[in-house]
Amino acid sequence: MNSAGNGKEGLSRDRPAREIVRRLIDSQGSAQTEGDTSARAAAAGDHLYRELSRWVGPDGCHALFIRAHADARNEFPPLGQIQLRAGSEPYMGGVAETVAAYGDTATAKALESMLTHLVELLGRLIGDDMATKLIEQSAFASKRANLTFHSKREKA
Amino acid sequence: MKQEERSALRSLPSGVPGLDAVLGGGLPEYSFNLIAGGPGSGKTTLAHQIMFANATVERPALYFTVLGEPAIKMLRYQRQFSFFDPDLAGSAIQFINLSAEVLEGDLDAVLERIVSETERAKPGIVVVDSFRTIGGQHDGTWRGTTFDLDRFVQRLAHHLTTWEVTSFLLGEYATEEQRNPVFTVADGVLWLSQATDRNSVVRKLQVVKARGRAPMPGLHTFRITDSGLQVFPRIPEQTLKRKLPKAERQPTGVPGMDEMIGGGIIAGDAVLLTGPAGSGKSTIATQFMVAGLAQGENGVIAVFEEYPEEYIARAGARNPDIAKMVKAGKLEIIYLRPLDLSVDETLFSILEAVDRIDARRVVIDSLSGFEVALAPTFREDFRESLYRLVGTLTATGVTVFMTAEVSEAFREARFTSENVSFITDEIIVQRYVEIEGALGRVMAVIKMRGSEHSHEFRRYEITPKGVVVGDSLKEYDGIITGVPTLRAKPKRAKN
Repeated sequence: MNSAGNGKEGLSRDRPAREIVRRLIDSQGSAQTEGDTSARAAAAGDHLYRELSRWVGPDGCHALFIRAHADARNEFPPLGQIQLRAGSEPYMGGVAETVAAYGDTATAKALESMLTHLVELLGRLIGDDMATKLIEQSAFASKRANLTFHSKREKA
Repeated sequence: MKQEERSALRSLPSGVPGLDAVLGGGLPEYSFNLIAGGPGSGKTTLAHQIMFANATVERPALYFTVLGEPAIKMLRYQRQFSFFDPDLAGSAIQFINLSAEVLEGDLDAVLERIVSETERAKPGIVVVDSFRTIGGQHDGTWRGTTFDLDRFVQRLAHHLTTWEVTSFLLGEYATEEQRNPVFTVADGVLWLSQATDRNSVVRKLQVVKARGRAPMPGLHTFRITDSGLQVFPRIPEQTLKRKLPKAERQPTGVPGMDEMIGGGIIAGDAVLLTGPAGSGKSTIATQFMVAGLAQGENGVIAVFEEYPEEYIARAGARNPDIAKMVKAGKLEIIYLRPLDLSVDETLFSILEAVDRIDARRVVIDSLSGFEVALAPTFREDFRESLYRLVGTLTATGVTVFMTAEVSEAFREARFTSENVSFITDEIIVQRYVEIEGALGRVMAVIKMRGSEHSHEFRRYEITPKGVVVGDSLKEYDGIITGVPTLRAKPKRAKN
């Protein structure tokens, strides 16, 4: 039996899932100015949405984000202002407004938590090993990940 | 054309036990195939099995999901199969969702995406699941727009073939839809179905089309287990490579019985022993097996009416070495009790055991239990099924000893059940008789192809060591009725 059937004892939020998310955020470049940390987290979310949509479809991916958003929102009120916009670029809206209201650090933490919930959720659904592998393959190995958060969100 | 020249068409293994033989040697490389069937027929599992058997990081498999089963759910379920290697997911096996293009209703975009992903990944295998959601209805419309399905399928086939891809389109089609252009363009069409008969469900596979191949005709049963699909070909390979039986006799292990059948059972024959309940059929079958084991001939016993442990315990009371022989791998006892078996599945299990231990003797105890263990749909053609079973087993050179229970009315003798005598080389019947107010048992040889045999009814006893055949009942008439009468002694003429 693989971990896909293990209920909620999936990727620990304190270790692999959070680690993957942090690496994903780090891959978006380094913070240089105020607001950069949350912008990088948002860019990581956009990138994850785009890449996961390739194999689960935009609707399937959006459903995963909605659930992760709902799970993390109680703990992180800044997420209340973050909008998930299926089929839009960037996918996550309201980031600047949230930073203005809650500050860069709190917004970044909230986004990181939401992404961590998403990785855990995927692990519970298809197995931690395969979830990790697919995220590694798509989000890190992809050539499409080369653009940094600045260029992508600026383009938007 | 020489055989070697014809062999240029390389084949890919399907990864499905039994399927390559049905396909006539595997899946032709670069072929464009359709896997069709109803919901739950096993299309997605089959496609995954093919991918996992062939995909490598260098030549990955691309699995395009369209609408229908969400990709996450598909992965969640498919990974439960033992063939599914999560390490290959994302690298050797890449999942790509086409729902955005499909929902846009833009077939050109669908085609373009498949081609661009193919160009990027240079896959060896491409699967589109479900093609039916792309193909829509064959009325020239799709998602409210007019489109040319023939042209779309043609272009897709061209692209995938030129990229040297072996491709599989999965779709839910009904048999009457075979005029759909995808059936015309496809090089191969595999049809999966499942039929419900009373409480049993039987899955069947048919190779409707296989360009460049000579597939095995007919419907082949298959089963989906934790290991994925397993196909049971109607004509096992062993039938095609028939071994000539050795010209020798095999002792039955029943004192007095060999004498009745001209010195023993002819090796490679099919023997049927019939009799009423309690007449000692299983005892004789076990003696036959033990006699073989004693002279180094391994054996397989297929039991349908009791568990192997029960069989060993019962048979072991008279033959203490049985358990040892099983442990030593000289004797295999196959338990086949489920009520939804197909004949081909039974045959597969027996053949596998015969191959495994190089058996020379097979006992099927009993045909009556075998018939009950079959799914109802197979009981209807039990005779044809048995014909295949016996024909295939004897083609391997083994001697097949079968038992069958016949219900017996005292004044009416039934020699065989199920009208199966035509498939056997030798028939021995048992029956109860009343002699001098006591119940006795007799046996006779009814048929023995190519050999002289006794035509007498012989009494036999079931002793603590097994069945022992005794004398004939020469002094009685009407034995066949079950109530023989002592023939009056001719009076001596007075001098």
